[in-house]
Amino acid sequence: MLTEQIKTILMNLWVYSLLLLATAIGIILTPVLIAGFVITYRWNLARVVRHMIWLYGRVWLLIIYPFVDFKREGVADENIPPNCVFVINHLSFFDTYFMGSLPSSDVTFAVRSWPFKMFWYHFFMRLAGYLEVEELSWQQTLDKGLSILHGGGAVLFFPEGHRSRTGQLQRFYSGAFKMAVASGRPIVPLCIMGTDRLLPPGRKHLKPSTVRLRVLAPVDSADYGEEGGHRRLRKEVKAQIAQELELMRHLNIDETVGGSA
Amino acid sequence: MTEQEIITTVNAALVEEFELDATDMQPELSIYQDLGLDSLDTVDMVIVLEGTFNFKIREEAEIKKIRTLGDIHAFVQRKLSAEA
Repeated sequence: MLTEQIKTILMNLWVYSLLLLATAIGIILTPVLIAGFVITYRWNLARVVRHMIWLYGRVWLLIIYPFVDFKREGVADENIPPNCVFVINHLSFFDTYFMGSLPSSDVTFAVRSWPFKMFWYHFFMRLAGYLEVEELSWQQTLDKGLSILHGGGAVLFFPEGHRSRTGQLQRFYSGAFKMAVASGRPIVPLCIMGTDRLLPPGRKHLKPSTVRLRVLAPVDSADYGEEGGHRRLRKEVKAQIAQELELMRHLNIDETVGGSA
Repeated sequence: MTEQEIITTVNAALVEEFELDATDMQPELSIYQDLGLDSLDTVDMVIVLEGTFNFKIREEAEIKKIRTLGDIHAFVQRKLSAEA
């Protein structure tokens, strides 16, 4: 018990101080990094900033490595279409940071307004062209999303809209599924587990945890082109995510029991 | 269809579509603030109601004035009465 408390204190000192340092260095180096990526890759500013945010996620994975057992599982990198609509269940503020483990850095997050209210992220989220779905009309969100998807990038939604307070999957909103059907691009379901132990809503200190991100097989939205087909797509994808999370929970319990035996 | 049957059918369709709690379905509740629907959900709601009651309502201007669950009940009742 005491060892666990000491480990938790060490983790918080380690992670928060290094994250602060990485954030500060990142902000200071931003102009140089932007210029470097623009010259090297000929990307536009939004694409460069999305790449930098993805690298920030990679740094996050390194920082937490001593305290968080993280693995990405499921579909291999080469089978994840670069321009797709990702949908993921939502448990923690830090869920987004684990997206640094996705193979492509060109992922635009479609999020509610509250993450934009954090001043230290606001500037970069705007530069990255993230979609603030509570501020934009649906047509604006759709137009921007289609432009990203047709340009080769991906859009990521948290279809529950909020972090789950119970760990259970909440109702899914339709936006991601309508966008996938409208674009003809596949939905790639993602299941994340364990970030609610790392940092659930309402807690400020981190706890050592096991986090798994499982990538499910892409779902072809072309099969859902009938009127209102996005509703069927939404229900089927939600059922897949729910089933997979249940399997992951059982597997995690088995591993825990096996590990402590 | 009686008034109560319409209310029950509307509520059941919305509970199923939007994964709402059946015990929350009070007519005075706002579909936005209390039931958590968004603008896209209202489009889905129209599709669901059309499928449930076998009528066409998407062009009706009244749809835009709906704010509460009771407004939906009243709207469906009027629509069914007009078509009877």
